[in-house]
Amino acid sequence: MPKVGEFELLVLMSILRQEDAPYANRVRDDLEENAERRVTRGALYRTIDRLAEKGFLRWEMEPSEVPERGGHPMRRLLVTERGREAVRQARDVLLDYFRGLGPRLDEA
Amino acid sequence: MREEPPRLARRLLERALEDDPAGPAILGDLHEDFVRLARTRRLGAARRWYTREALVLAMGRGTHRLATRLFHSLTDPTSGESPMTGSTLLAGLAQDGAYATRTLRRTPGFALFTAAVIGLGVGAATAVFSVLKPLILAPLPFEAPGALVWVANAARPGATSLSAFTSRTSNLTDFRERARSFEGLTGYNAFFDQGAYTLTGDGEPERLVGAGVAADFLDVLGVRPLLGRDFTPDEGVWDGPRAVMLTHGFWVRRFAADPGIVGRAITLNDEPWTVVGVLPASFDFSSIFSPGVSVDFLLPWPIAPETDRQGNTTFMIGRLRPGVSPKAAQDELDAIVAALQEEQPRRWGLGAKVDPLQAHIAGPFRPALLLLAAAAGTLLLIVCVNVSNLILARAPGRAREVAVRKALGASRGRLVRQLLLETLAIAVAGAALGSVLAWGATHLVAGNAASRIPLLSGVRVDGAALLFATGVAVVTGLLVGLVPALQVAEGGEATVLRSGGRGASASRSARRMRETLVIAEVTLACVLLVAGGLLVRSFRAVLDVDLGFDPAHLVAWQLNPGVDFQSNLERTDFYAALADRVAAVPGVEHVGFVDASPLGRNRTWGFRVADRPEAEDAPGFSLFPHMVDPGYLPAMGIPLVAGRDFTRDDLEDSEPVVLINETGARRAFPGEEAVGRRILQNDEVRTIVGVVKDVHHLSPELPPGTEVYFPWTQMPDFGTLDMVVRSALPDARTATAVSAVLREIDPSMPTREFWTMESRVDRAVSARRFTLGILGAFGAAALLLAGLGIYGVLAHSVAERTPEIGIRMALGASAEGVVWSVLGRTLALATVGIGAGVVLSLVGGRLVASLLFGVRATDPATYVGMGLVLLLIAGAAGALPALRAARTTGIRALRAE
Repeated sequence: MPKVGEFELLVLMSILRQEDAPYANRVRDDLEENAERRVTRGALYRTIDRLAEKGFLRWEMEPSEVPERGGHPMRRLLVTERGREAVRQARDVLLDYFRGLGPRLDEA
Repeated sequence: MREEPPRLARRLLERALEDDPAGPAILGDLHEDFVRLARTRRLGAARRWYTREALVLAMGRGTHRLATRLFHSLTDPTSGESPMTGSTLLAGLAQDGAYATRTLRRTPGFALFTAAVIGLGVGAATAVFSVLKPLILAPLPFEAPGALVWVANAARPGATSLSAFTSRTSNLTDFRERARSFEGLTGYNAFFDQGAYTLTGDGEPERLVGAGVAADFLDVLGVRPLLGRDFTPDEGVWDGPRAVMLTHGFWVRRFAADPGIVGRAITLNDEPWTVVGVLPASFDFSSIFSPGVSVDFLLPWPIAPETDRQGNTTFMIGRLRPGVSPKAAQDELDAIVAALQEEQPRRWGLGAKVDPLQAHIAGPFRPALLLLAAAAGTLLLIVCVNVSNLILARAPGRAREVAVRKALGASRGRLVRQLLLETLAIAVAGAALGSVLAWGATHLVAGNAASRIPLLSGVRVDGAALLFATGVAVVTGLLVGLVPALQVAEGGEATVLRSGGRGASASRSARRMRETLVIAEVTLACVLLVAGGLLVRSFRAVLDVDLGFDPAHLVAWQLNPGVDFQSNLERTDFYAALADRVAAVPGVEHVGFVDASPLGRNRTWGFRVADRPEAEDAPGFSLFPHMVDPGYLPAMGIPLVAGRDFTRDDLEDSEPVVLINETGARRAFPGEEAVGRRILQNDEVRTIVGVVKDVHHLSPELPPGTEVYFPWTQMPDFGTLDMVVRSALPDARTATAVSAVLREIDPSMPTREFWTMESRVDRAVSARRFTLGILGAFGAAALLLAGLGIYGVLAHSVAERTPEIGIRMALGASAEGVVWSVLGRTLALATVGIGAGVVLSLVGGRLVASLLFGVRATDPATYVGMGLVLLLIAGAAGALPALRAARTTGIRALRAE
């Protein structure tokens, strides 16, 4: 299975966090507000492309009635099972790793 | 408020995302954020934000997708795209372009320098193109200008006086009546600058120049007034209603472009004249028909018996009927002239010479402009050679890179394309720089209002010039890129790779190639320098011409007092009193009056020698008349050679007297004493009382003709008078002090219209100065480039030969020996180049010959001088590498290995 990069991981997690509105703009707001990341539009789209190429997510176009979108459709981002597995794996590796670190991180 | 993103930016993004499956959603995302931003902040800020975002996205997504596709097509031959489809070709180009930019960015010094050199050449060519365009390349700013012809009088060959080319208005009347070749035939008063109009009324009084034109003048040219109407036929008759048409420049300057002026009357010479119209800005009468003499308004010039009596006054312009050639019109006019002469044997001044209008206007300047074009071309060639040389110098270093890429399977076409792209990128940068240079140069040229070259004020770098610059740059880039690109074609990458990157195997033939190029450069530079040198010598010769008067410390005014004189005596008394007042100004040494000061107007009268038996039938002589007061000759510094000057006792009723110049005395009285002889002028006998030195009246370059001075008291036929003041003070102070006195005497007299005699001389040589200035700049650039070329080749060859020189010196060769061997090589190259340049210059001498004055096209001093200059520059350019070679030590040589 392809590796998942740090930013890719954040994006996947953010999509999962969105539940009913997994759209690029929401993901971007979420990352900026809650992950304290400055996200440029281009980088986000490129990451989404890459994740789709790796098979971690797919997307569906859905028409939008929201007037603010000027008649353009929305792209619903869906994390594939493969993607979920990648996130789980990353979580496990990281948690394991943190555990191995022990209390050293917080000592003076 | 409409919350719409900027259209252009949105379109751009739409295009960039055209075949991106996520494209529509991305557009929507951006739109959504835009709307949010527009609601929280100002719409303008939001639109700016959108544009920025869209640009970044379009560029990022666009290139990314292209690169991805390229990657796929390269790595996956089964992707279905054949390698020759348009999109891959484009992708390959993009890749090569990116590669070229990267290569150039790695060597910014080389890229910048090469671009600067190309920019120099492109700038020179574009500037010359811009100057040439309005005069030679572009049609005149009239309707269907190809059908317009200039009809001059049939002057004797070698004639220089203006009235040898102008016609009587009766000629125009008869031609209009009889000739079938013309749709319209019109004319204007060629001597319009002799009249003077003082504008009074609102604001300060001002002396104006009005050009008299036939009532159908604008109609024939196809010029429509910007405002108001054209002259009417009844305004074109003698003593018709007084009407004027303002030139655009004067309208803007004096009346602040007030459209309400049309239909109103202005006061000229104390009389009301109705402004019937304003000319469009595109029709600049003076820049086409009288460069250097500004024109403020047009007024009707009656084609009538009254104007016919004034003699040869009029230039004619005709519009040919469709299908009629200038030659056919000439034949018809010849027949008409012959018929008229037969019908009226005593009629004089008949004749017609038809020329296309454009050829007539540009004609006198063609040789100079063509020379400039040739010079710009030569400079461009030098630039090409120079840049080729620079690129060749890099070739050995690049040979390895090329060999590696070739070994990895790059096709020859691809390599050639990539090398060409590199030089093209530089050339395009050069074009940008050159356009800026040309813009600056044309700005300088157009500002030169005093010049006698027509249409200069319209010179500027426009779309056509930019296109030209780009074209020149691309051709230059292809030319100079070709040499290194073709070298790629040769095989042998193995040799190059084996030779450890120094490319030594190719170096000998490469060096020979580069040396040949340097020789070519020196040759071309030599040609330019010789042409420039000849022009400099001509210019000096013109400036060194003894004008016959001393222009330094001379200031002149054209006087136009608002006084109505009852008699000529009253007038001359008024001026004599004025002269006394001006002479009392501290610093003023002499005051004199003349009705036509030198390097100004042009006219001729005829005269015969009296007391000669053949006087009745003799062809007679033509003279240039001057009406002067007794103070004129001393003020101008024109020496009396024999006899006496005029005095205040030469009055209206005393014996009619004249002064004649030396040339006139020699022509009319060969081998005889002129003083005491009598001439017949206009049926009046006048005694010559003195002979004065020749004055170059028309131009420093034209030999003086016969000039006759009449005392102003006895010859009241003058319109306006020029007052010349010689003073020990600086010209500006003289002008201020004298102007104050003039205003005291007559407050309505315009006093801002003064000129220094030195500025007149300047104007007379302005066309020559113009050519020389440009050619001089080209010559200097050529010299610089040749020097750089020599330096580049020698520096490179010394660097290449470091090991060899080191070994030689270790074996006992002296430092001087090394210096001399390098310098010797330099001088050998330069000498061959100079030799070739001299031969070329001698062959091409015809091109400059017509522009030379006082020097031959084969002037040995110029050739030798320019050869020495080139040798000196070559020596200087070779000195640095030579010294570097002399400092070579064995250790350094080994380190270089």
